[in-house]
Amino acid sequence: MSHAKTHLRVVGALLVRETTTRFGSKPGGYVWALLDPSAHIFLLVSIFQAIAHSPALGTSFALFFATGYIAFQFYQAMSAYLNSAVRANRALLSYPGVAPIDTIVARCILQAGTTALVATIVLGTILTIARLHFSISWPPIFHAILNASLLGIGIGMMNNVLFVKFPAYEQIFNIVNRPLFLVSGVFFLVDSIPHPYQSVVLLNPLAHIIMIFRTGFYPEYRAIGADLEYLYLLSFLTFFVGMLIFTSYSAVLRKE
Amino acid sequence: MIKFDRATKYVTTKGIRKTILQNASVVFSRGRSIGLLGRNGAGKSTLLRLIAGTLRLDGGRIVKEGRISWPLGFQGSFQGALTGEQNVRFVARIYGVDTGELADYVEDFAELGPFYRAPVGTYSSGMKARLAFGLSMGIKFDYYLVDEITAVGDANFKKKCHDVFRTRLQGSDVIMVSHSTSTVREYCSSGVVLEGGTLTYYEDIEDAIRVHDRNMRGS
Repeated sequence: MSHAKTHLRVVGALLVRETTTRFGSKPGGYVWALLDPSAHIFLLVSIFQAIAHSPALGTSFALFFATGYIAFQFYQAMSAYLNSAVRANRALLSYPGVAPIDTIVARCILQAGTTALVATIVLGTILTIARLHFSISWPPIFHAILNASLLGIGIGMMNNVLFVKFPAYEQIFNIVNRPLFLVSGVFFLVDSIPHPYQSVVLLNPLAHIIMIFRTGFYPEYRAIGADLEYLYLLSFLTFFVGMLIFTSYSAVLRKE
Repeated sequence: MIKFDRATKYVTTKGIRKTILQNASVVFSRGRSIGLLGRNGAGKSTLLRLIAGTLRLDGGRIVKEGRISWPLGFQGSFQGALTGEQNVRFVARIYGVDTGELADYVEDFAELGPFYRAPVGTYSSGMKARLAFGLSMGIKFDYYLVDEITAVGDANFKKKCHDVFRTRLQGSDVIMVSHSTSTVREYCSSGVVLEGGTLTYYEDIEDAIRVHDRNMRGS
């Protein structure tokens, strides 16, 4: 019981610390955490609007693009922020009360909250400005967010250990992870890819996440090929493997 | 009370495995301040981290009763972008002590003036050390861990640190690693010698120092 209390206290303290320091040196502070992805989306939307005639789905470029980007971001921002959770807070591990997992939990809460806030602001703005007739279906949205978060947390926990143990892996991970944005179906519909290639793209769980997330905003969208069972299996597997690696190598994390 | 029960610890650096503790058992009872003696590289600092709980044993266990500090004057946790006060509040939250009370105590102790509310990144090393020492003294621990006491500040401040630490030690004990036998004599009543993976406890610090000196001559 007292252990649980210590963890709670430490996570709370880390939350305050991470929120103030993440953008602490810049004027505006935490506001940038919200402004940065929002600005990114609006910039890309305006570029795409200029070069293409109509979006692959619906009538609004902004909505099509933002739904893909945000679903992706629930994974990407989470794993990117968690990757260095322990490394960034290593000095704090000299306090006996601070466990490596606390840094993960704190960043996890902060990032999930931040992305959710960004999603609300961006999608809310788009739906209001475009005066779209929309009907939101919440279950697929929650499925997508949950899976994206589990994947991001699993990968993030793994990387905390693997980046330290195998420095070359960090470079390889970044090379593989970067183009994910392009092949996960943020800009296009996976449904429209010709047959032999489609099944390759569908190995990528993020493609499923984006498709399922979009069905929450486009009732007419069928998302053929999206497989919730496959997605849950993969996400939970990643999460547990990440947890396992993280727990069994916490000694590695504590050492300099 | 801190009890080592058949404790075993190895450290591996660059493929070379070194034994720090081999089935070592020893009891530090409450009310005795302890000096840890041993040759360079014997693992005294590792031992201190084991007691603090930031390193784990490879075998056996350590039973601890009472609240144990981080190494005295530890500055590693200070985040440069946060102010001295924010850093102090962070530690208060970790340890579950009253944030306002600790912040006031350290402000008063460290004598940083307006810099207390400026980012730690702007501090000189002396100011950082004063903040760190004030923070260590601000929380009441049953055991204070000390890895080589380093004096900070001018003569007046040194005296203040010494006095406050002395007062603290009336109700608390210290576990100290130091190469200076005079410092160990001043603060510690008992001693432990770490040699070849075994811990030997001596009720009287003078006995411990004598054994330690003999070990050093023998090598």
